[in-house]
Amino acid sequence: MSRFFRQAGDSDSDSEESEEELMTSEDEDAAAPKAAAPAAKPAMSRFLKAAGSESSPSSEEEEEQSEEEEEEEEGKETKKKSRFLRAESEGEESDEEVKRVVKSARDKRLDEMEAAGKVMDNALKINDWVAISNEFDKLVRLVQRQQNVSEPVPPFFVRTLVSLESSLNTALSKEKEAKKKMNASNARALTAMKQKVKKSLKEYEKEAKLFQEDPARFEREYAVAAPAEAAPAQQKKKKILAEDEEALVQAARGKKSTDRVDQMRILEKLLQVAETPYQRIRVLLALISARFDYNSSVTSHMPVDLWTSAQREIDQLIAVVIADSSYSIQETTEDYDEYVERSPSEQADGVLRIRGSIISFVERLDDEFMKSLQNLDPHGTEYVDRLKDEKSLYCTICRAQALYEKTQQSEPLGRVVMRRLEHIYSKPDAVLLALEAATSDIPTAISLGSQSSPSDLIHALCVHLYQSGNTLLRTRAVLSHIYHYALQNDFYTARDMLLMSHLQETIYSADVATQILYNRSIVQLGLCAFRCGLIREAQATLQDIFTTQRVKELLAQGVHQQRFQTLSVEQEKAEKQRQLPFHMHINTELLEAAFLVSSMLVEIPLLASIDSEEQKRKAISKPFRRLLDFAERQVFTGPPESTRDHIMQASKALQNGQWEQCRDLIQGIKIWDLMPESASVKEMLARRIQEEGLRTYLFTYAPHYRTLSLSLLSRTFSLPLRSVTSIVSKMIWNEELPASLDQAAGVVVFNRVEFTRVQQLALTLADKTSVWVEVLVGVTGMMVRRAINELSRRKSGEVVVSAQGDQALVVREEEGLASLKV
Amino acid sequence: MAEYDLTKTIIPYLDRHFAFPLLAHLVETNLFPVEEVQAAQYELAKGTNMVDYAINLFEQLHPDEEVPEEFGNKREKAVSTNEHLQQEAQAVLDVIENPDVAQALRQDKNQNLQYLKDNYGLTLEQITALYNFGQFQYTYGNYSGAADYLYHFRVLSTDTDLNTSAHWGKLASDILTGKWDVALEELNTLRESIDARAASAPLLNSPTESLASLHSRTWLIHWSLFVYFNHESGRTLLLDTFLAPAYLNTIQSACPWILRYLVAAAVLSRKAQQTTPGGTPVSSRVRYAIRELVKIVQMEEYQYSDPITRFLKELYVEFDFEAAQRELLVAERVVGDDFFLNEFKEEFLDNARYLISEAYCRIHQRIDIGDLSERLNLSRDEGEKWIVNLIRESRMGADAKIDLEKNVIEINRPPLPIYQSVIEKTRGLSIRTQAMGAAMSRAAQPSRLRAKSVA
Repeated sequence: MSRFFRQAGDSDSDSEESEEELMTSEDEDAAAPKAAAPAAKPAMSRFLKAAGSESSPSSEEEEEQSEEEEEEEEGKETKKKSRFLRAESEGEESDEEVKRVVKSARDKRLDEMEAAGKVMDNALKINDWVAISNEFDKLVRLVQRQQNVSEPVPPFFVRTLVSLESSLNTALSKEKEAKKKMNASNARALTAMKQKVKKSLKEYEKEAKLFQEDPARFEREYAVAAPAEAAPAQQKKKKILAEDEEALVQAARGKKSTDRVDQMRILEKLLQVAETPYQRIRVLLALISARFDYNSSVTSHMPVDLWTSAQREIDQLIAVVIADSSYSIQETTEDYDEYVERSPSEQADGVLRIRGSIISFVERLDDEFMKSLQNLDPHGTEYVDRLKDEKSLYCTICRAQALYEKTQQSEPLGRVVMRRLEHIYSKPDAVLLALEAATSDIPTAISLGSQSSPSDLIHALCVHLYQSGNTLLRTRAVLSHIYHYALQNDFYTARDMLLMSHLQETIYSADVATQILYNRSIVQLGLCAFRCGLIREAQATLQDIFTTQRVKELLAQGVHQQRFQTLSVEQEKAEKQRQLPFHMHINTELLEAAFLVSSMLVEIPLLASIDSEEQKRKAISKPFRRLLDFAERQVFTGPPESTRDHIMQASKALQNGQWEQCRDLIQGIKIWDLMPESASVKEMLARRIQEEGLRTYLFTYAPHYRTLSLSLLSRTFSLPLRSVTSIVSKMIWNEELPASLDQAAGVVVFNRVEFTRVQQLALTLADKTSVWVEVLVGVTGMMVRRAINELSRRKSGEVVVSAQGDQALVVREEEGLASLKV
Repeated sequence: MAEYDLTKTIIPYLDRHFAFPLLAHLVETNLFPVEEVQAAQYELAKGTNMVDYAINLFEQLHPDEEVPEEFGNKREKAVSTNEHLQQEAQAVLDVIENPDVAQALRQDKNQNLQYLKDNYGLTLEQITALYNFGQFQYTYGNYSGAADYLYHFRVLSTDTDLNTSAHWGKLASDILTGKWDVALEELNTLRESIDARAASAPLLNSPTESLASLHSRTWLIHWSLFVYFNHESGRTLLLDTFLAPAYLNTIQSACPWILRYLVAAAVLSRKAQQTTPGGTPVSSRVRYAIRELVKIVQMEEYQYSDPITRFLKELYVEFDFEAAQRELLVAERVVGDDFFLNEFKEEFLDNARYLISEAYCRIHQRIDIGDLSERLNLSRDEGEKWIVNLIRESRMGADAKIDLEKNVIEINRPPLPIYQSVIEKTRGLSIRTQAMGAAMSRAAQPSRLRAKSVA
């Protein structure tokens, strides 16, 4: 009864009430007269519920919904209550509000209990035990809360309990006799109910007995006790309720209908009134979680203002924990009562452990930052503004590191150091210094202050991670370290590190993020080799990633367009989540230019040196060869526009021995400007083009000359005579060029012999036969070895018949022959 | 020249006692001030039980100062310990030297131990006394005695750690006494045991274990230098060992300076590269040592280079004969000053010259004699003599002619006729096929037997 009134009153006074709620209360208003008649009670409340939710009356679904509604109401009540609290403490709120809330503080709970009781009554009439069970649960919960605020058990509850017991008994006996059994879920609910009632009866044994003896007295006593106890409770209330609220919010977390904005507001207010560190920690933990909860979907990112406040609050939380070492936040703690205020002095070792995890907050914060960068337009100002937040995020990470260093928790420390490393490993020194400058007041063990250079800082961080037991962190640290060395143009160190880590063998089984990091490191290593002028190494390093033709996808810098198969929605989503934010990208065009140019320098002289068709098929760099073939097929070539055009035309020029043209074309590529040391790279390229041009020239035109003057070569290719001699000598020594030097005349003398067709064939045949023999020797050698094994096994008294093994051997033999024929 | 001296780099990987000959050598070379080296020697000796030697050095260093008191005490202490340990060890030795016992001992160590315990009451602890005494003898410089005791200990003991330690000790004693044959044997067994241990431990899962094997290999490499550069056929053995993948990796990652010795050995054993008739066949590793090494030297250039490795690089990577000649000039002095290499200075120079002229002749058709002599750091007449000798003893004999009038060598290399190259390629085929056939028929026999037994 009073419930309706309350709700009506609510909808009048509280303009923030939701529309649905308004509707309900209107309905209730209309039904109010009927409610006066006790007989109509059960039917009415059902009717009301139905009006609110518009579903069939007896279904379970409806019950659930109504429960949710109820909870929503709870949420609202809590809000109001907290307002009440604040009004009390600050005394600034209007009278009217206070009045309203005073009424609801205790009575509302009673009202609710009664409402639940009524629903139960109704359900009892139609023998719907499922509904009863649900309602009973709620009732018990309410009563427990009542007790938490140290109020006596209301007689209403005891009454319901006693009556329920009796009706249960009758129901059970009826059930036994009845021919038509109840449906399964109902029957199950009935038995469950029996247990529950038994349990609560035991719990409230004293009260129940009192009640049964004299119901009237019990009620009277209660009426007296309630106001009396309310008075002393008043002082404690503020504190206790604060925790109560927090627990409520905690409980409501994750439920569908929770109003997240509201929750956050409540918690913010609570934070203001929180006094002890314990309260502050508790509220902060809840508040930060609530902030992260704001976005339920995985794809969208957190709003920036929420992110910044979450970041601030994490800072606060860390500050609180650092300031007072008697509090410690841990992921696993012993169970403790959520509602009771605790203090460190009560604990055995003087350290109060609170359940929570700062590291996961920090990680989440970092992830959200990345996510928001992923979703922003990288060319807009918004992106740049967002990037500025990285500094504060970096500070938070460092603070967390300082905290864990202090508490010496190695596992989260490793994780937080990894996060820190991930923010700086790919940054050039200047940016890194700027980031570090902001953290100078944070006392971490590993900082730029204690290390002399940024590289040393990275080294120290990595070494820390190497020593941690976590293999994943170790792998990622190695890769970041390699990346950093490559960025610093320290090719040999980076390469040695990569080789010694043996990651190439195991990376296929790693998780996707680590594989991406591996690809990034490899690519950066290739670029580093290119910058250092190690063309061959650069080509070989970049080769793998370019043959796949999915560079962007492998570097997580763009989603690959699948031509033949379409990705499912989930795959696409996962792919999108993996993308790196724009500022971490490695420029793929630059990468391609580096790869193609180094391929050109390796491949063109090789192409010139081989004469038979067969050898021609063995390309070192397939992607380059493909492009070159394509360019050759073109009838008309215009002036180069793209980087590829430049390189293709340069390759052609190089093939024709026009090294100057080749050099100009290559140096004309604009993308080089993106490299920090573009001038020296261009110079290096020019030099390499001269050398390779000379080699190509010699290969291509040697058949047409009997002798060639070294000084002429030196003039043509603007190389010093000494390096020309050196290059030619090298070619002669490696038997690439059938020639010799005439020192006296200063010329190269070519002794090329042209083979006739028959001679060539004879040579090929001889080669093939010897390969054949090699294969056969291998196969028979295996057979002989096997036979010997067999013998020795038999000697040891073990007879093994392995017909299968013989068969396998034959197959292998055939394979060997087949491969020869090809 | 002092910047190319490796003594300081190597000593950390050597036993204290090895450092004495190295330092003594430094005194001779005059690379460093004599006083400094002597001071270093004294500091070293102070830590050992070689009291007299230390006093001697002290007197040399400070001729007018009193010998410090501590030496007297130390000597007394050393003598008493020596007696004490000797008594312990003697008990064991008495038993072992008994001919009955010597006959009764078998391969199985556990059985031996049991036997000794049952019949003579010898326990493992007593046997360990042998080790202790051996070690003590080593500390005061009685290396041959130490070698003896450690040998006996190793035969009897079952303790693996101490055994390894005894192994190292024995090797050190043998090296210091200059018994190169024994030392070589020791070295090989030690190497086997290290390799076996490394092989048994999976690389990826036990970083500490692989680190340990890396350490022991590094040490082994350094110690073995003594043996390899003193033993008769040491250079080829050195190539064989150091070019094995495991040791090459060790050198590349832990001690790239060893490349100097590797290169020197490769140059020195140039003659071994040509098939020596009647001699033991050299492994392909040794035969292609130079080719291999050129690659490695090039690869490790960023870590380590000295005139000797640079010589190889200039010659075979850059083909810059002038630079190679310059490096050779410096390398000559470095080799002369090096502790291990100084005895091979002439030989090294000779071989290096040969390598230069070989490469030179292969690339050139007409060579000015004066020019070549210059490349070889020889005077004109010497050069001519050298070249004539070269032509006489090398394969090019038929193709190279000296034209004294023009003062040039003409090298005429007619291209190989095509039929000859076909013959070359197919020469081995028939023999191999026959061998294969024989092997198959041998293999077929047991399988027929087997078929019967199954039936």
